[in-house]
Amino acid sequence: MAARYLVFGVLALIAFLMTAPSAMTLFTALKPPEELIRPAWTPPTAITFENFGRVWTDGGFRRYFLNTVLISTVDAIVMIVLASMTAYAMVFMSFRGKLALQVLFVVGLMIPVTAIILPLYTTVRSLGLINTHLGVIFADLALAMPVFVFMFSSYFVSIPKALHEAARVDGATELQIYRRVVMPISIPAIITTGLLEFMWSWNDLLLRLVLLPRDGMRTLSVGLLNFQGVQTRDVAGISAGAVIMAIPVILLFLFFQRHFVRGMTAGAVK
Amino acid sequence: MADLELQNIQKSYGATKVLHDINLKIDDGEFVVFVGPSGCGKSTLLRLIAGLDDITGGELFIGGQPSKKLSPKQRNIAMVFQSYALYPQMTVAENMGFSLSLERRPKPEIREKVEEAARTLKLEALLDRKPGQLSGGQRQRVAIGRAIVRNPQVFLLDEPLSNLDAALRTETRVEIGELHQRLKTTMIYVTHDQVEAMTMADRIVILNAGRIEQVGTPMELYNSPATEFVASFIGSPKMNLITGPAASEYQAVTIGIRPEHFDIVTDAPHWQGQITLVERLGHNTIVYARVPDVGPVTISLEGQHDYEVGQTVGLGADLSKVHRFDSAGRPVG
Repeated sequence: MAARYLVFGVLALIAFLMTAPSAMTLFTALKPPEELIRPAWTPPTAITFENFGRVWTDGGFRRYFLNTVLISTVDAIVMIVLASMTAYAMVFMSFRGKLALQVLFVVGLMIPVTAIILPLYTTVRSLGLINTHLGVIFADLALAMPVFVFMFSSYFVSIPKALHEAARVDGATELQIYRRVVMPISIPAIITTGLLEFMWSWNDLLLRLVLLPRDGMRTLSVGLLNFQGVQTRDVAGISAGAVIMAIPVILLFLFFQRHFVRGMTAGAVK
Repeated sequence: MADLELQNIQKSYGATKVLHDINLKIDDGEFVVFVGPSGCGKSTLLRLIAGLDDITGGELFIGGQPSKKLSPKQRNIAMVFQSYALYPQMTVAENMGFSLSLERRPKPEIREKVEEAARTLKLEALLDRKPGQLSGGQRQRVAIGRAIVRNPQVFLLDEPLSNLDAALRTETRVEIGELHQRLKTTMIYVTHDQVEAMTMADRIVILNAGRIEQVGTPMELYNSPATEFVASFIGSPKMNLITGPAASEYQAVTIGIRPEHFDIVTDAPHWQGQITLVERLGHNTIVYARVPDVGPVTISLEGQHDYEVGQTVGLGADLSKVHRFDSAGRPVG
């Protein structure tokens, strides 16, 4: 029994440590200016939404929010299509150079963004896509593609080959098999990919900072920097901005949680 | 409906050759069973006919047309898979009508054909269910229904009964036989179960290590096996294969005597053996005995008998039904 209490205590401590920063951020965002001098872990005595209003209008978060929604949504949708099609070809089709392509994707998994940020910037600039959402979307897709091809491939290999073969015998083309047989039974992988890519795109700072220098094109993560100067810091503004930024991702996770877990564990056991 | 001809069909995976010069002609409307042990190449051969794998060498004719380069669809064949391979997200009706919907046939026509096939297979009540809501036997019937709807030239069935329990297997075996009688379509059926092969086939093709050992009617294979392998493969319980001095008496390296051609006798027994096991099946009794200088022998007796383990009995054999083989496993004389 004592061991059980000990485990419970350790788990409660971990849960507290993980939720504490979020709680402190929320407390700070809800505090009026006169309460900001109090420690961050103390809840507000009087709740105000003034910080949110200020960030949304004066801080330009309305524009940043729309930019972020646009980029992240397009990222997620295009990634689902591209990664699933690539993985489909890798798993179900035979073609020359398949092994080389697989190796290329594995190599892609190993390269960190920071290592290639300068050549990436040069490439996007040479395409004339600096300060465009399209440039960021291209870069996002290229960088995350190996991860999601890998994820879809892991899911597709669990689909019996006989299904693909039965569809071929039934007269389906590869595109018809992809669309009518494979994708409808890959909902967990689709949702996981969509959710993860959306979240990564939503939270990314580095690429947006480099590829979107103009303020009107910026996203939420870059917008948060506006509340931080060299000598000063608008803690309430940053906190309110962080809460605004977190809410859509939390809602998406809550909504798709069941599918997400299934997608992440696909292929783990028979 | 169509006939099939396989001319010197070969299949290799890299340097490994898995099918060697398969030559076979299957008549229009015939029910042919490919049978053989695991890894003999029977499923591979079926997949080559279906167009799911490429033929390495030789030519395949379906309905007189060279078909080696054709896609599965162009070959106009239908296949029933061992795992049924039903589309889990579709209803029974959608599964059965999938091939027709791909051809963009009008919906009323698809519905009519699906309902017709469902009536044949007693699936009318299940048309709106998903495969996950069906039993193994029902799924099997849906898989067959999906094949029927297309009205193909040739049906290919890859061990379709292997996932069913014994009782359902027997029932479905009869249903497939009756279906063939009704449709009169060419059917190629793969199984490793020689009982299925014997009971269903017009002709059986016995494969071993990527080669055809023998092609013939079930009774031809039973009565006149072309090789020792065929002799041992066909028949249940298996034929007794005896080597050594007992075989030399018959001027053979190996002699084969089916269990049902042995008898337990008291007058002038050919051999004396000690019983090691008795299996009582009701309609017959299978006795396992050990004969000195001969080895283990299986005897199948009609009816019920009271032999006991450890008992010494005399064995007689119907000498006109002794099969003699040389060192290469070929019949002598």
